[in-house]
Amino acid sequence: MTTILYHGQPNGPSFTVLAAAFEKDVDLDLRAIDLVAGERHSTALPHPLEVDQSIEGEGPVLVVDGVAMTDSVFLACYLDEVGSGPALRPADPYARWQMMAWCRYVIERVAPAVACLGVASAPPAAVPAGIVSADLEGRWRDAVAGRADDAQLTDSRAKIGQAVEKIETQLADGRDWLMGNFSIADLESYAWLAGMRGIVPSAFAASPLTDAWEARLRARPAVARALGLATVAHPEAIWAPGPEINRWG
Amino acid sequence: MTDVTLYHWEPNANSGKPMLALFEKGVAFDSHYLDLLNFDQHKPDYLAVNPLGTIPAMTHGQYVLTESTAIMEYVDEAFDGPRLMPADPVDQWRTRWWMKFLDQWLAPSFSMIGWSVFVGPSVRQKDPVELEAAIDRIPMPERRVAWRKAINGAFSAEEMAESQRRVALGITYLEQALGQREWLAADSYGLADINGFNLAYAMPLSQPQLCNDSLTPNIMRWLRAIYARPATRACWALGRTDLARRISLLEGEPA
Ligand SMILES: N[C@@H](CCC(=O)N[C@@H](CS)C(=O)NCC(=O)O)C(=O)O
Repeated sequence: MTTILYHGQPNGPSFTVLAAAFEKDVDLDLRAIDLVAGERHSTALPHPLEVDQSIEGEGPVLVVDGVAMTDSVFLACYLDEVGSGPALRPADPYARWQMMAWCRYVIERVAPAVACLGVASAPPAAVPAGIVSADLEGRWRDAVAGRADDAQLTDSRAKIGQAVEKIETQLADGRDWLMGNFSIADLESYAWLAGMRGIVPSAFAASPLTDAWEARLRARPAVARALGLATVAHPEAIWAPGPEINRWG
Repeated sequence: MTDVTLYHWEPNANSGKPMLALFEKGVAFDSHYLDLLNFDQHKPDYLAVNPLGTIPAMTHGQYVLTESTAIMEYVDEAFDGPRLMPADPVDQWRTRWWMKFLDQWLAPSFSMIGWSVFVGPSVRQKDPVELEAAIDRIPMPERRVAWRKAINGAFSAEEMAESQRRVALGITYLEQALGQREWLAADSYGLADINGFNLAYAMPLSQPQLCNDSLTPNIMRWLRAIYARPATRACWALGRTDLARRISLLEGEPA
């Protein structure tokens, strides 16, 4: 069985999947691509619906025996199923619901806010050719032109503050990890928030538990190995267009 | 009395997902119907269960669960009965991919259309002062905006056109996927189908020019197969309005 992972810098969704693969000891053929240059849209990658219409926007693509898969939390669930390392999801159904509901919050509320702030702080140079999804292409055009709605930027900053508060509350009982045991929720939360320290510093002004949690996370060998794949000094400052901000509510 | 209570509206969209999953698993539950058009979901009794004021929510013993798709995964894992998540890890990934795509891309477009043609007009004639007070009680700011727009008919032409574009594309994606396999995400009936059916069961009625026996035979085959399941019949019997009754259009044979 050949498993190929096309990934960007270890930040955002690429971080989650790289770290999950290393945590689980899954053997991968790693292929670094430049997400900010739009290489995910090149003909070097397979382009089924699930790649071209991924809700995550620019994220990693895992190809298992010819099936190309996207969306980092679900890729991490897949790796958790097939890998040999310690479980990345709780076994108890209710604890598992808690983890999935937490990840859904990150995916739906935090990630779009982060991606909006991220590309606004470091706009990509050009809209790549070959984008199939018209709405993703629209987000690229806005990002390249530096077009950002003030209300959305303000709301996105508020969302980062709320996310850090939620983590502080979750860790308040002295636990090491968000769900008790280490899980995909830790990886996905860190993946999106790591780069926000520089962009929304006020959100981290009084977050001692979050700070200590991040330090614990970075000390894990699998996480260090993922971060070690960076080819730039600050991978957490590298952003390509991500999920859209909820247009319904 | 059972130890499961489901707070739901019509078998439709988010409410219908855990309802149908519970019926498929054969789990008895106490049904607690909330009238969305009467703003029951923002009343103190329900906010004590789900402070976000959205439907559905489920309690199981001392546990309180929200998020319809995550509730379905819980129902599948916590109770006996047929497995609704496929066993193969790639199929599991595909199930989750589709549920996210439906929940976060296609469903919001259907919602915008549904709220502008149905939900808004249904509540618009209420006393304006009462309506304003009802909106002020909504916990999520995003939802206050959506309700105001629905009531005032204020969705922009651009937003509506974008929603219609996504609905049309979404239908072609569903048709394509159901042309590749019998069920949406795997070779057996499961959570992705339950999710998709709740969004799509009325499409032949609401989008007749896009979804019909000649243009989308695979979607029609799939909808009819799900409609034929005893769990689906039992679930839709809990509907109280014409919204749920739209399902009867699936009784017809292919044209
Ligand atoms: N992500 C949530 C969304 C729940 C939701 O928004 N439900 C709608 C009904 S389908 C609702 O409660 N709308 C009424 C309102 O927001 O006041 C889920 O999947 O359960």
